[in-house]
Amino acid sequence: MLEQEPTAERTDEELAREARAGSLRSFEELALRYKRRLFVYLRPRLASDQDAEDMVQETFLKLYRNIGSYDPAYRFSTWLYTAANRMAISSYRKKRIAVVALRPEDAGGLADPKAGPAGETGSTELWDAARTLGGGQFRALWLRYGEDMDIEEIAAALGKSRLAVRLLLHRARTNLLKKAGPAPARTMAAAKAAAVGETRFG
Amino acid sequence: MVCRLARRMISRAEDSGTKPPRWVERHTARCGACREYARFTDSLKTRFAAEKPGVLAAAPEFPLNQAAWAQAGTGREKRASLVRRLTLHPFPAAAAALLVVAAGLVLFQVVLREPVPPSAEDRAAVRAALRSFAAAPDGFPGVVTEAESSLAREREILERSLASAAEYLQARLNIKIERREGPRSF
Repeated sequence: MLEQEPTAERTDEELAREARAGSLRSFEELALRYKRRLFVYLRPRLASDQDAEDMVQETFLKLYRNIGSYDPAYRFSTWLYTAANRMAISSYRKKRIAVVALRPEDAGGLADPKAGPAGETGSTELWDAARTLGGGQFRALWLRYGEDMDIEEIAAALGKSRLAVRLLLHRARTNLLKKAGPAPARTMAAAKAAAVGETRFG
Repeated sequence: MVCRLARRMISRAEDSGTKPPRWVERHTARCGACREYARFTDSLKTRFAAEKPGVLAAAPEFPLNQAAWAQAGTGREKRASLVRRLTLHPFPAAAAALLVVAAGLVLFQVVLREPVPPSAEDRAAVRAALRSFAAAPDGFPGVVTEAESSLAREREILERSLASAAEYLQARLNIKIERREGPRSF
């Protein structure tokens, strides 16, 4: 009898193909690989950790039900994030979940108590700043840099045109430079904001 | 304005994995803010990648509900939707049936129906016309000459009317209208 190859060595697409053929174990491995990533992706648009966890559960349940419609010609991650995005949108429409832009101090609340002090896991300053960006900018950044997707894949996952995704990323980078860029850039941005404030109210 | 465009081009180059245009490189060499943006954009990939493990480690650990997957089973939703699709609702089905019947009737009336045979009156009229052709003194050429002569009469009448209208206008407006030969086809 042939011994089955350990799932950890297989690619996402191979595992998805096996899950499509009926392997629950392969799907479990996929879910384990993606649950935290999906949580991080969904968390900023939901009101609480619990909502984000529920959304992750629902997304995987839906994916498992529809695994037959997965096309191995495309990356599994694109399919997953497309489904997650649609689920989040429809859930928002149904429940009217409050969409909150996390402040940096709130983002600290995401830390897992079991994970130990922040120093052990390293700095997350840039991602924390990215989480505070609104209008889908964090999602675009996560898919681009967190999941290494190209523009076309991001457009498919977010349900936007390629031009819209490019614009979203450009805005995200510009805003991120103001928030987490080198000190002179931040000072300049702050000075500019203060000047605008003075002319408006001064 | 130039800075905005340059930064847009830097962003675009980063997304497509290509080099920004030469003019953007020349601009960033001169402009400190744009140079900063280019450097920052360039560093994002490595910085985000370096911070990613920390972000994932900070996400809470939660169990996945595998029992629900096993309960749901693959393709169950697909089969259910297929059944739903096959069940016809009465009103749309009746409307569709009516449409099909109407389309069939139109097809029958317009395309498939055989032409109605000519009536006895039509036949008699055609026979009379043929007889008049045959009875003409010079046969068919005679009939054609007769038709042409009536056309020539019409043309003469028209020419006379036009000439009188032109005379009236000349007298009234004190102008001179020259008469020229009409086109041959006329």
